[in-house]
Amino acid sequence: MRIKSALAAVAVVALAAACGSGGGDTGDSSGGSGEPVKLDFLSLAWQKESVEANKAIVEEWNKANPEIQVTYVQGSWDNVNDQLVTSFEGGDAPDVFHDDSPALAGFASKGYLLDLKDKLPASLQNDIPQAAWDTVTFDDGSGDQGVFGVPFLQESQVIIANKKLLTEAGVRMPTPAEPWTWNEFADASKKLTKGDTYGVAWPMKSPVNKVLNLALNFDGTFFQTAGGKTTVKVGPEEKAVLQRIHDQLYKDKTADPAALGMGTADPLPGFFADKYAMLPVGVYLRQQVAEQAPDGFEWVTLPPLKGTTSNQGAVSQTLSVSADSEHQEQAIQFMSFFLNGKNQARLAKGDWLLPTSQEAASDPSITGQEDGWDVATASAKDLVVAPFLKVNGYDEWKSKVATPVLQEFFANKVTLDEAAKRLVEEGNEVLERYQR
Amino acid sequence: MWVLLLPALVPVLIFSVGPLLYGISLAFTDAESGRNHVTSFAGLDNFAALLGDDDFWQSMQVGMIWAVSVTALQFLASLGLALLLNERLALRGVARVLAMVPWAMPPVVIGLMWRLVYHPDAGIVNSTLGTDINWLADFTWALPAVIVMGVWSGMPQTTVVLLAGLQTVPRELYEAGAMDGAGTWRRFWNITLPQLRPVIVAITSLDFVWNFNQFSLVYVLTQGGPGGRTRLPMLFAYEEAFRYGFFGYAAALGVAIVVVVLALLGVYLWRQLREAS
Amino acid sequence: MRRIPQYAALLVYLVFLGFPLVWLLSTALKTPQEMASLDPAWIPREPTLANFAAAFGEQDLVGAGLRSLVVALASAFLTVAVALPAAYALARYQGVLKRIALGWVLVSQVFPFILIIIPLFMVMRELDLVNTLAGLVAVHVTFTLPFALWMLQGYVRSVPRELEEAASVDGAGRMRAIVSVVAPLLAPGVVATLLFSFISSWNEFLFALVVLKDPDVMTLPLTLVRFTGPEGVARLGPLAAASLMATIPSLIFFAIIQRRLRSGLMAGAVKG
Repeated sequence: MRIKSALAAVAVVALAAACGSGGGDTGDSSGGSGEPVKLDFLSLAWQKESVEANKAIVEEWNKANPEIQVTYVQGSWDNVNDQLVTSFEGGDAPDVFHDDSPALAGFASKGYLLDLKDKLPASLQNDIPQAAWDTVTFDDGSGDQGVFGVPFLQESQVIIANKKLLTEAGVRMPTPAEPWTWNEFADASKKLTKGDTYGVAWPMKSPVNKVLNLALNFDGTFFQTAGGKTTVKVGPEEKAVLQRIHDQLYKDKTADPAALGMGTADPLPGFFADKYAMLPVGVYLRQQVAEQAPDGFEWVTLPPLKGTTSNQGAVSQTLSVSADSEHQEQAIQFMSFFLNGKNQARLAKGDWLLPTSQEAASDPSITGQEDGWDVATASAKDLVVAPFLKVNGYDEWKSKVATPVLQEFFANKVTLDEAAKRLVEEGNEVLERYQR
Repeated sequence: MWVLLLPALVPVLIFSVGPLLYGISLAFTDAESGRNHVTSFAGLDNFAALLGDDDFWQSMQVGMIWAVSVTALQFLASLGLALLLNERLALRGVARVLAMVPWAMPPVVIGLMWRLVYHPDAGIVNSTLGTDINWLADFTWALPAVIVMGVWSGMPQTTVVLLAGLQTVPRELYEAGAMDGAGTWRRFWNITLPQLRPVIVAITSLDFVWNFNQFSLVYVLTQGGPGGRTRLPMLFAYEEAFRYGFFGYAAALGVAIVVVVLALLGVYLWRQLREAS
Repeated sequence: MRRIPQYAALLVYLVFLGFPLVWLLSTALKTPQEMASLDPAWIPREPTLANFAAAFGEQDLVGAGLRSLVVALASAFLTVAVALPAAYALARYQGVLKRIALGWVLVSQVFPFILIIIPLFMVMRELDLVNTLAGLVAVHVTFTLPFALWMLQGYVRSVPRELEEAASVDGAGRMRAIVSVVAPLLAPGVVATLLFSFISSWNEFLFALVVLKDPDVMTLPLTLVRFTGPEGVARLGPLAAASLMATIPSLIFFAIIQRRLRSGLMAGAVKG
């Protein structure tokens, strides 16, 4: 019987506490006269420095704008889609939220987002180049183009390399002005491969975006639109990067096939132990390298590779306003402050990414040589909008067709031609579903 | 009878039955996410499309292998552990607590931890076995590798339930058995197992359902790869609904899963009940 | 001597099931450099408490932990309080209602959870339960109920009916018979169910994610994911430290309650 009475007591107390601490306040804001307007801001920052920067900027805003108070809510990248879809469909979405442009493409056509076209202050509008605005310009679901977010952080693919091994192998050090071509990269990988050391590790757990962004080096776009209909295309341009990576794995044997299933950060233990000399990864991984490298380990950031061009596909991290927000004007004001040049430099520094703001890009804090910032920030000039961003159904093509096909191709289970055929045929079937 | 059921009925009616019926009804419409879509009745179109969808069949197959093997292995391993924990061994209390670790660990870290366990360079599996296999990206080994993780993560529930079941067996039965001179094995087979049957049936059927519905742990490990080898049906449904926004199609998939699982469970429960009586 | 194989088997089990705890502890004490080592050691070479400092300093772990504890305790005890009578009814009576109830139990467990979450969210909004811990408790109770009902009715069925009938024939009356004979035998099952409800509520993530919005109502699982980034990259050290702190209450709860897995039988034997 002791259990039962304890049960009753605890249940009552707990329920009372639960009601007391949560009940009543639904976070709604009235915005009536005298009452400050309340905005919810869902942020996805997760690195320590970046969270600190976010919090600090929100605090500065709240101090300067007593009539518009912003609540900083921390979310996480892995679950933000579930969280947003539920709150868009069920009502009660955050006023301002942080996400990335591939997600916005879907949200925009579904009518969840506020079109920001002609609503942003000129200072913000002009500080960010058109190439970046392209990554947030989408069809609004009725055929009109709208701007559905403010792009503020971008990622480029660079190469992080072991300086000692590079020097020993006697390869030419590339610079932003004179980057390596893919051929030079292949040669360097060969020179670096000896004993237990592989020249390169390609972490390809999620291979699709990476391959598609790099494919632009050889003008590979993977999609073509004719007569209002988008189809998948895998020709010589698209095959170039695929073939080169495959050659490194199985012909030159300069890339470790065991690294294929790894996520972006997984090759680091091998990198620090001289097992891999180079890692082609996003610029943000520099943070992990800087934090985890053993004492005395020297590493460098090499600029993006060059094929027939240096172009790389880019997506952006973004801030958007939800269509349901009751305080859209105030939300835009907050966003414009949050993403001004000075603040963008802080955010970029905190997340080890590239700012879209021109003002921020020349900020001394992210152009120094330390930790490869000079090379990283310079690589922003090669970023163009990733062609897949504007493709309806890309997400499903990526998950159902491209990911498995590329995994099989890199595992040497299918030939390039077979892979290309499946990417196109199965891919077009998927895209069909979105073009009814 | 009614009075006893009432407290359970209220929350169920409010929070479960409504949403459940709503979810099921979507299967017969072309519902999509978004404000620009007008939903209309679609009859059995979604089901027809499902039958012709190769990805659906592949994921059902993967789901079947996964759910059956995880449930069976989980049951056998947990029964063994529950029997041991039921013995008068020293430090039994500590052992019982330690056996709960997989369950008590927050799911966020479980995925990360197993990724490190299977890490091809720094993982303990390769260094212990002396192999050089990239477990989670290998077309042959990925599914067995996630099955081991599945067994591990579900064992505590099953063990606790079976242990509680073992405790419910009246001791007189064993005393009678001992007097008849039955050995350990015979007592287990003739007394423990039949007495435990209702609990075993209940937990294995629930385990099966849960395992069939699992996806988040596997998703963290492999994202359904390599080449769809670990794409469980629920992951498929999740992607259809939350990633691509085809609510109607996803709901049809859900209904198909319900039909398949209930049919299997029906056969299982019916056979168990018949043998029991 | 007969015990030696048993101890050996138990050891194998415990290593298999318990090693993550050691791993969590070891990771939580490691520096970032050491975590990226190719041959990871179980015992940190330069143990540090920096990860704990970061975990507690950057997130409100204590507050979130207390809220989680309240939610989990309330969910666990409410679930059992609601499920026990119903399970008894389901196990002892036959009829259409029973079939419907058991059918619902299974369907609600099989139908994809994620397809229910949007309509459920709308119901919660109507009832003004969004962003409240009470709402979260209500949802946790509802979704643990099927399990609790299903398991408890299994336990009730495994209590021989004759025992109960014998007691009530003694003139004790049905209610007395239940309380004095059935209840003690059910105790282990109740404890197992409590434990299950507690831990599933303690760890539950998806509902908490969509129901709770304000930083000052967030539960522990929501706080933990803040140490993770995109594509499975995470701040492993602070995450391990925080996770260790999140694992321990469940284990303590279990340590307290696990004796009850036995005591029911003892009580029954004494009275019987």
